[in-house]
Amino acid sequence: MQRSIFWVIIALLAVSCNQTVKKEGDEPEALKTEKIISATIVEILAAPTDYQDKEVAISGMVTHVCRHGGQKCFIVGEDGETQMRIVPGGGIDEFKVEMEGSTVAFKGIFRVLNSLQSEEHLEEHDSKEHHSEEQSHSTAEKAEYFVEALDFKEITQ
Amino acid sequence: MNWRKWNRWIHRELGFLFFGMTIIYGISGIALNHHAARHWDPGIITHSTTIQYPGTLRKADVDRNTIEKILEITKEKENYKQYYFPSQDHLMIYLKGGHIAVNLQTGSMQVTKIRNRPVFNELNYLHYNKPKKLWTWFSDLYAFGLILIAISGLFLIKGRKSITGRGGILTIIGILIPLVLLIIYLWL
Repeated sequence: MQRSIFWVIIALLAVSCNQTVKKEGDEPEALKTEKIISATIVEILAAPTDYQDKEVAISGMVTHVCRHGGQKCFIVGEDGETQMRIVPGGGIDEFKVEMEGSTVAFKGIFRVLNSLQSEEHLEEHDSKEHHSEEQSHSTAEKAEYFVEALDFKEITQ
Repeated sequence: MNWRKWNRWIHRELGFLFFGMTIIYGISGIALNHHAARHWDPGIITHSTTIQYPGTLRKADVDRNTIEKILEITKEKENYKQYYFPSQDHLMIYLKGGHIAVNLQTGSMQVTKIRNRPVFNELNYLHYNKPKKLWTWFSDLYAFGLILIAISGLFLIKGRKSITGRGGILTIIGILIPLVLLIIYLWL
């Protein structure tokens, strides 16, 4: 009897854990009216407010992948200088070091931090041990703008 | 069977069952601790060698031929991916499994090879719960089992060395150490 009750409780727990809660914003892809804007890094940074919180598609060569768990990477624009910080979002867990030197197309949300968030971001950056010297991606690393990647595809490897 | 026998049974059986998991989380835990504290990635091994380019270079003069010459000298022709200039004086050539950082002014070429660190890479993969799916369930089960092992461990023996004696003092010390460090580092 006790054993039966135990298994019933386990079964109920398993069922309740598998229940999916339909949240606001869970609409199917087809119902989303917002379009993805294809733009270059230079174009986005020339008018950041036009792209803020919008879904963008950008591509570039990955110049660096953060060694602290691959939680950010940097791509260089077509001018060979301007870089953009990309952070994993959606179902992306991390960026692999192997991506360095590959041209990658990213789809994601362009974010701009407000002054308070930007200050916090800089404080957090400075509190961690990063590169001892300034790197080519240092500006993008400290910048208030970044792309929260939802998906990506390596174009060249 | 009295409760002490059950307690010993739980402690012993779970201890055997989760021996492997404790080793996995223990080793990767140490690695991740040092990963956070130092600029060291337990998952990868980097190895750098410095080779001298015959002469110096200027950004404006670097072309496909220059890149090929560098790849020939460094014997990395088959690994070439792309290149770019991080600054006026530096050239970065990306390779499959590494890169070559060239100082154009001095002609010094640092070849860095990156590869996965055996064992640690796999342990970290599990510690970070990258497989998800069934691993989440099993590692949750392990975490729950670990709690049971800890609690049952408190009541394994009776007498002077039990939880009411020396064991209790050690338990309190073990709780106080993280608490004191938390107060020092987080709240003070």
